[in-house]
Amino acid sequence: MSIISTQNLTKIFGSGAATVTALDHVNLSVNTGEFVAIMGPSGCGKSTLLHLIGGLDRPSSGKVIIEGTSIADMDDDRLTELRRRKIGFVFQFFNLIPVLNAVENAALPLTLDGMKPAEAQKKGAEWLARFGLSDRLSSRPDQLSGGQQQRVAVARALAAEPSLILADEPTGNLDTRSGDEIASLLRDVAKKYGRTVVMVTHDPRIAAYADRIVFLKDGKVVDETMLERRNNNRAATVEKKIKDIGD
Amino acid sequence: MSIRHAILGLISQKPRHGYETRIAFEALVGGGENWEVKPAQIYTTLDRLEEAGLVVRSSDLGEGEEPSRRVYMITLQGEEALREWLASGVVPAHQRDEFFIKLMVGLISGQADPERLIQKQRVLLFQELHAATVQRDSYDPRTEMAQILLLDKAIMHLEADLRWLDMTEMRLETIKGQPLPEPEIRPRGRPRKGDKGSTYPPPKKVVSPL
Repeated sequence: MSIISTQNLTKIFGSGAATVTALDHVNLSVNTGEFVAIMGPSGCGKSTLLHLIGGLDRPSSGKVIIEGTSIADMDDDRLTELRRRKIGFVFQFFNLIPVLNAVENAALPLTLDGMKPAEAQKKGAEWLARFGLSDRLSSRPDQLSGGQQQRVAVARALAAEPSLILADEPTGNLDTRSGDEIASLLRDVAKKYGRTVVMVTHDPRIAAYADRIVFLKDGKVVDETMLERRNNNRAATVEKKIKDIGD
Repeated sequence: MSIRHAILGLISQKPRHGYETRIAFEALVGGGENWEVKPAQIYTTLDRLEEAGLVVRSSDLGEGEEPSRRVYMITLQGEEALREWLASGVVPAHQRDEFFIKLMVGLISGQADPERLIQKQRVLLFQELHAATVQRDSYDPRTEMAQILLLDKAIMHLEADLRWLDMTEMRLETIKGQPLPEPEIRPRGRPRKGDKGSTYPPPKKVVSPL
C-alpha cells in the first residue's frame, strides 16, 4: 500500500521571465515501510520534492497524497497538525535547541502538541534508549558528537510516533563513520520499527542503505531502481550451478 | 592475481589437505559468493606447487570413517617464495576497465545511447553497493574485522566508480565533440622500391680513384 503518492507534482519558483521549474510533473509513489533515497545532482529538485511531500511548501500544480488524503486541500492548521503527528523531519544540521538537553529535545514535538513534559520526556527517552543514548539524556547538544546529535534528532522525529520520516541530507554534516551509523539507523527505523523513510542524499554510500533509489534530474524522475537483487541472484546462482556441473 | 600464493600462505599456517585449503580461502574472502574457487583449481594449483618444490605431499591415513587424504606441507623453498611475494607491492589494474571500453565502443559505433549505458551501469553499481553494505553490516566488528575490511574496500571502490560515472556523464558532450584516440597509421613491412628508406636499387659502389 502506498503511503505517499504524488501526481504531476510541479513547482515553479519566481515569475515572469525569471521562472525556474524545480519540479516538473513528478509522479512518485512510496510504499508503507519502504526506505527510499532520492538522488540527483544539486539543483535537480530533490529537496523541493521532500519539502512538498512534508507540507513545508505548497506545489504550483499537481498533488501530494499522504495516507489517502490530498494535502493541497488542507488549511494551514490541518497541515501543521499533519506535520506534527504523521511526519517526522531530520535535517542536515540537526536543528536541535541548544539550551535543551537530549531528552527535552527528543520530547519537543510532544510538548508542543500539548503533552505534559514528564510524559513527553518518557516517550523521548524511550527512543533515545533504542538509539543507544540512554546515558546521554541530560547532555546538551554542544556536549554531544555530531553523530550523537543526529541520533537525538532522529529520536525527536520519532517521538510523536509518526508513520513517515523525511530526512534531508541527514549525513551531510557528518564524517563517514557517523554517516554510516545514521544511515544504518534510518534503515532500522524502516525495517525494525516499520516506519516509511524518504531520504534525500547526494552520497552514493548513504543511498546504498535504501530499498530503492529515485533519480531526479532537472526536476524530472529519470530512473527508479530497486537495490535488492535477491531473485536475480538466485537465478544467477542456479545458472552457475548448472554450468559447474558441466565442468 | 592467481590464488597460488594465497594457497601457499594457508599451507604455511599449518599443513592442510585440498578441501580444507579451499574452504580456508573462501572463509578468508568472506564466503564463496565473494570469490568462488573450484575444487579443480585448487588441485591443479597444489600439483603445480608440488612440482615446483614449494610444498610436499604426505598421506593422512584418516581416522575412523574418514578416508585417507593427501596433506600438503610447505617446504623451505616454499617459505622463501612466500616471503618474496609478500615483500613485493601490488599494482592495481585500473586501466583495464570493461565499462570504459563499452562506453567508447558505444560512442564510436553509434549502437548505444551513452546516457543509457551510464545509467544502466550506475544502477548495477548501486545494487552491488547495496549488497556489499548489507553484507558488511551483518558482520560483528568484535570478531569479524577481516571480513569488514574486505567489504569496506569493495564499498570504497564502488563509491569511486559511481563518482567517476557522474563525472563522465557531465563530460559526455565534450567527449562527443572530440575525435576519439586513433592509432597513427604507419606503413608496415619493408618500404616500397624507390621509397625513402628503400635499399633498392642498391647504392652504386663508390670506386676508389686509386
